[in-house]
Amino acid sequence: MARIRAELGKTRGLPPAEPTRRPERPRVEAEAIRAELAERWPEALERFRRELEKVGGVFYRVATLAEVVPVVAGIARDRAARRLVSWHAAELGGDLGPALTAQGLEPVAMPPGEVPSAAERQRLRELVAAAELGLTGADLAIAETGTLVLSSGAGRPRSTSLLPPYHIALFDRTALVESLAQAGVFLELWHADGEPGPRGAVISFITGPSRTADIELTLTRGVHGPKEVHAIFVEASIRG
Amino acid sequence: MSQADLSIPFRRRAGRAMEDAFLQEALTIATTKFIGLRREAFDAFPEGEGLRDRAREIKEATLQHLDRYLEQLIGNVERFGGRVHFATTAAEARAVILEIGRRAGARMAVKSKSMATEEIHLNEALEEAGIVPVETDLGEYIIQLAHERPSHIIAPAIHKTKGQIADLFGKELKRTVPADPEALTQLARGELREKFLQADLGITGANFAVADTGTVVLVTNEGNGRMVTSLPRVHVAVMGVEKVVPSMSDLMVFLAILAKSATGQKLSVYTTLVQGPRRAGELEGPEEFHLVLLDNGRVDQLAGPLREALYCLRCGACLNVCPVYRQIGGHAYGHTYPGPIGILLTAMLNGPGSVKELAHASSLCGACVDACPVRIDIPRMLIELRREVDEKRIAPWIERVVFTSVGWLLTRPLLYGLAGRVARVLQRPFVSDGAIRSLPLFGDWTRTRDLPAVASRTFRERWNELERETLR
Repeated sequence: MARIRAELGKTRGLPPAEPTRRPERPRVEAEAIRAELAERWPEALERFRRELEKVGGVFYRVATLAEVVPVVAGIARDRAARRLVSWHAAELGGDLGPALTAQGLEPVAMPPGEVPSAAERQRLRELVAAAELGLTGADLAIAETGTLVLSSGAGRPRSTSLLPPYHIALFDRTALVESLAQAGVFLELWHADGEPGPRGAVISFITGPSRTADIELTLTRGVHGPKEVHAIFVEASIRG
Repeated sequence: MSQADLSIPFRRRAGRAMEDAFLQEALTIATTKFIGLRREAFDAFPEGEGLRDRAREIKEATLQHLDRYLEQLIGNVERFGGRVHFATTAAEARAVILEIGRRAGARMAVKSKSMATEEIHLNEALEEAGIVPVETDLGEYIIQLAHERPSHIIAPAIHKTKGQIADLFGKELKRTVPADPEALTQLARGELREKFLQADLGITGANFAVADTGTVVLVTNEGNGRMVTSLPRVHVAVMGVEKVVPSMSDLMVFLAILAKSATGQKLSVYTTLVQGPRRAGELEGPEEFHLVLLDNGRVDQLAGPLREALYCLRCGACLNVCPVYRQIGGHAYGHTYPGPIGILLTAMLNGPGSVKELAHASSLCGACVDACPVRIDIPRMLIELRREVDEKRIAPWIERVVFTSVGWLLTRPLLYGLAGRVARVLQRPFVSDGAIRSLPLFGDWTRTRDLPAVASRTFRERWNELERETLR
């Protein structure tokens, strides 16, 4: 650090430069964005759909959480898949387990918090690794890029949206933002002092299915992450 | 050719690359495609130009107060239970990482693509210490199996055909697989999935680190970055000190232009923000998180001639547009970082003496400045480097004589006009179809290209004529 200061000491007289202006009161700005979107959300949702489809994602719109079940069951049936892992019911906005079981699926919800037993953690990891479908919520849906933003935390493990080949994410109007810049306001908010921040250590931006073009520039999906991403917009609020 | 042999002169390395017909085709296809995708992305994003200026200013603002931002970053990483290590040299960085690996009892390390770990030659050191390094980016995995090095910053295996890759997988993985990108990718997915689940150590680079929150940011398309930061018990991120940005608001500016410059995507598939190890209440995530801050020649440039190269985001856009890179590819440069920015970074890491030849591997056309998301003035620094490394005259005597004479001539309008008329006559024996195909004493200049013949009327003659006509 002393060396860095010594070197910086030699650079006086450079034209001044400023970093990006940050929201002074992120909560106020975040609320302003939400208030604006209370009017404009249909356009933002339409743009989200368009951008998601451009990157190879699939969009659905349903009225209530209960209507999510037949959509998920349909996705599973078309892919001859049955094993589903999901975030804990409290993080998903409701318990879809019994309804999914009635549709012939084998759903397993993740525990609501830490699991002290190493053997149990290993069992859960193997279960997630063997699952075909991963069902999660989303904290933001960015219209500009068709991106879903998921923060990790208790009851919302990272692997649910990562290991299974088919990822299905639910979101409602309160998650919708128009741009990366607006998403930045929420990131500032989540990290601001005294605000309830992201619960876990990781925030993932997911823009479509996993892809590579490393072999002769041929686009191939599902290298390491999911090969399909399905985003289901629920008209009724699914978050507290 | 797997790796450039630095004992061979650069000219010969470049020459070999230019004789490699497959490499030539692969380079043309790849770079042309990337150029098109980048252009489309920015054409559809009018605010992009303003954001490039903004991004440049953020880099400048950060470098001017790098001490403050690094202190803030370190404090915040530690606040969330991470550990920060400062490495002045590549050797120090390797030692720190090996010690972390030893303490964790690691036998295998999964890595997501990272130029910083290439730069410090980490894989060899891990192997010697008995920790098997596994590259998990598909392109990196392929070249690791082939014992080669990346030929492009973001497309490391563009020099290989699917047939070569199928043969390689057959030999190394003992699996028969058709030469089809989809099948090859699925085979690699299965192989690497096992490694992700077994590895004790996850090693990544970092595209950015946010000082205000202590967050390390990884950008990938395949999802390996998420795997490496979620599954192993220990996560080590290796990052050049210049990659710190002040806030989340700054981060969003860079995210908006990085993928567009690299692959033409609006955003890469995965942007992963990691704030320390597994948090209380989380089912999974590493128990330990280490951030290795790498100097390795960077700090010396804070007030040095290569300062602006510290803005680099490692997007690869300058490689694709560079007429030299497009001809010779990444390996011929012979160092970790290829292309125009690579010459500057090589000089930064290994000293200017290491780029005596490479400093001239540029036409100074400036295409790199136009493509660079933060508008790094690469040609200006290359000229400075040339001045620094050129005590020895490397041009042949005839070129020096001619260039000196031309320089003298260009400042004397009357003589210049006369010289044009003389050249028109003298060139006659060498001209065919309006071009000079070969010129004695200048074989190197005309061997692979033609020189346009001196026009029968000069610009000034035509101008005067036009002026007379319009006046009439």
